[in-house]
Amino acid sequence: MDYKKENLSCDVLIAGGGVGGLTAAIEIKEKNPDLDVLIVEKQTTGYGGKANKGGGVLQYFRPDMSPAEFVKFHVENIGCYLGDQDVMYKYVEMNTEMLEKLISWGCNLPKNPDGSWFVIPTGPMTSMITVDLDITLKMRQRATKLGVRIMDKTTVAEFFVDGDKIAGAAAYSILDGTFYVIKAKYVVVATGSQNYRFASMWSSGRGDGIAAAYRAGAEMRNCEFGNFTQIAKVKSHDEVVFGENNMYNAKGEFITPHFRSYRETDINSNAIREWYWQMLAGTGPVHLEYPEREQESRPAPAEGTDSKEGGAAMARLFDRPYGRQFRMLNTISSQSADQGSMEICPLFIGEQSPIRVDGDMATSIKGMYAIGDCSYTGSAAPGAVPAPPGRNRGSGILNAVFAGIVCGDAIAALKTCGCAPADIPAEKVAAVEEAIYAPLKRTAGHKAKDVIDLVQRAVVPIEQSVYMKEDRMKKAEGIVAEAREASKDLCAEDWHDLLACHEAEAMVTCAEMFYAASEMRKESRGWFLREDYPDIDNKNWLKWIIVQNVDGKMTLHTEDVPIDKYPNKPE
Amino acid sequence: MFPTIFTKHTIEFDPSKCVGCGLCYKACFVDVIRWDEENRKPIFKYVEDCEHCFYCQSQCKKEAIRVVPNYASERLLQSFPQYK
Repeated sequence: MDYKKENLSCDVLIAGGGVGGLTAAIEIKEKNPDLDVLIVEKQTTGYGGKANKGGGVLQYFRPDMSPAEFVKFHVENIGCYLGDQDVMYKYVEMNTEMLEKLISWGCNLPKNPDGSWFVIPTGPMTSMITVDLDITLKMRQRATKLGVRIMDKTTVAEFFVDGDKIAGAAAYSILDGTFYVIKAKYVVVATGSQNYRFASMWSSGRGDGIAAAYRAGAEMRNCEFGNFTQIAKVKSHDEVVFGENNMYNAKGEFITPHFRSYRETDINSNAIREWYWQMLAGTGPVHLEYPEREQESRPAPAEGTDSKEGGAAMARLFDRPYGRQFRMLNTISSQSADQGSMEICPLFIGEQSPIRVDGDMATSIKGMYAIGDCSYTGSAAPGAVPAPPGRNRGSGILNAVFAGIVCGDAIAALKTCGCAPADIPAEKVAAVEEAIYAPLKRTAGHKAKDVIDLVQRAVVPIEQSVYMKEDRMKKAEGIVAEAREASKDLCAEDWHDLLACHEAEAMVTCAEMFYAASEMRKESRGWFLREDYPDIDNKNWLKWIIVQNVDGKMTLHTEDVPIDKYPNKPE
Repeated sequence: MFPTIFTKHTIEFDPSKCVGCGLCYKACFVDVIRWDEENRKPIFKYVEDCEHCFYCQSQCKKEAIRVVPNYASERLLQSFPQYK
């Protein structure tokens, strides 16, 4: 297939036009209007990403609670001492500033008649503010007004590195295949997490930015905290947020108390493990019940919690024009499929987000940054959880806004020479171009969906990704190895299919990183559960596992969490 | 060689209601919908990739689009016979 070639140049290239990429673009232009900022988005900026697909909640921290209090709660109960407590503190501290910024950018956030925020309490020490699903459209309008350039339907496929510094990226149009070489002084990766194209709504996170950053040599951190799983209705696959508080087995026994003694902020991997145990014991299927008379027997809210019953709180979360319409369409459709059935089982979501970044969201490659869902665990801020929600509902959009602002400020403050970005050697460009388009030149081989199918068969069964054991991980790794082999002769029929091939390859890479790191971590911590190492091991495993591509080989090493410098330490 | 991961959701489209605004095309985050510039109408080109997110339907003010999920064509892939 023929395609055109174009060379582009900019100061800052942002890969991904979701809420994180848009935040960074706006922040950079507001702080330093002279910088030439280009967003390249695989689908349509303002419509792509996850923020406008039904989430629409922002984390809110009560003014009467100090950032230090929340950080302590999070470190002890969710992050399990594996987090960067300094970054988490900064995130909480900037809460109000972030909300005010969103309003100044034209986003609609609800307030009470007296001017205070309209807040919905959700869990211990957390609350939410709803934001309507046009948030990213408002941000696109703001970015455009500031002079940000936007290229839609174009995917960033590879990053160019010159020595230890970023030099730009290769991209192509998914409509006509045009090949772009984009020279840039700075690159911001904002391409979302790895969701392995599995659960509806979450499936846009396909890890291609993560895999490209890995191939470029960027360090990855906390790859093993990557497989978020929710519970869902069996017939409609409709997620039941907070449903874990109402789980019953086939004998009619209330099983929530087996894994939960108080109402937690969100689902815990223990709930998923409990489902698996019930099924193994022959006491499945598991279903949900909401009997009024038994409300007193539910796990009591933790001290200081204002949490209301899940259903009522959820209804209020969707009290906004776009959200209401979304919910209505989903509800009507899923109810007709469920026909009253309350049977549930795990719904695999994924959420691997391992690009390692520092407090400025800078990766280990100079001039390259990563924000939002592609670097959530890589930032180490949250500790032992997958990317948002990561047992911290409302943190997805707000974390992307946080990272975008921090990264935008860092880039805007950098001194640029005023000259054009450095040239990218022609032989490098030629090699990358050949590799990108190779699947189109093959007339026989594997299809992208063959590879994706294999990866899903490895990572989706929860005993291979949430409640793991060495032999089960080996089995899964064998399937991933098969997928890797199949990915070597991928063939594509058109540009849409070519993108699927690159996404499939990214899924293989992310699964490989997940299993390599998971095998290495010989303990259980936070979301990460191993049957063969069931306990937390603060003596030996207060460590981050770093994964890096060194000359084409996956390497792993550990770094001690600098726990001595943090205020919260394990006993 | 391997089972595929195609879904079987359907998208019903009434071209007589369509005013050519293009919002459905922009809204689709998985490239199911392409755009016919000449006729200013959506082309539902890769329906087997539809994730039934309802975003195109919710954006269409003329109610020209209806997404009809086929939930049975989606997978749960858990290791117990009823969820495979």
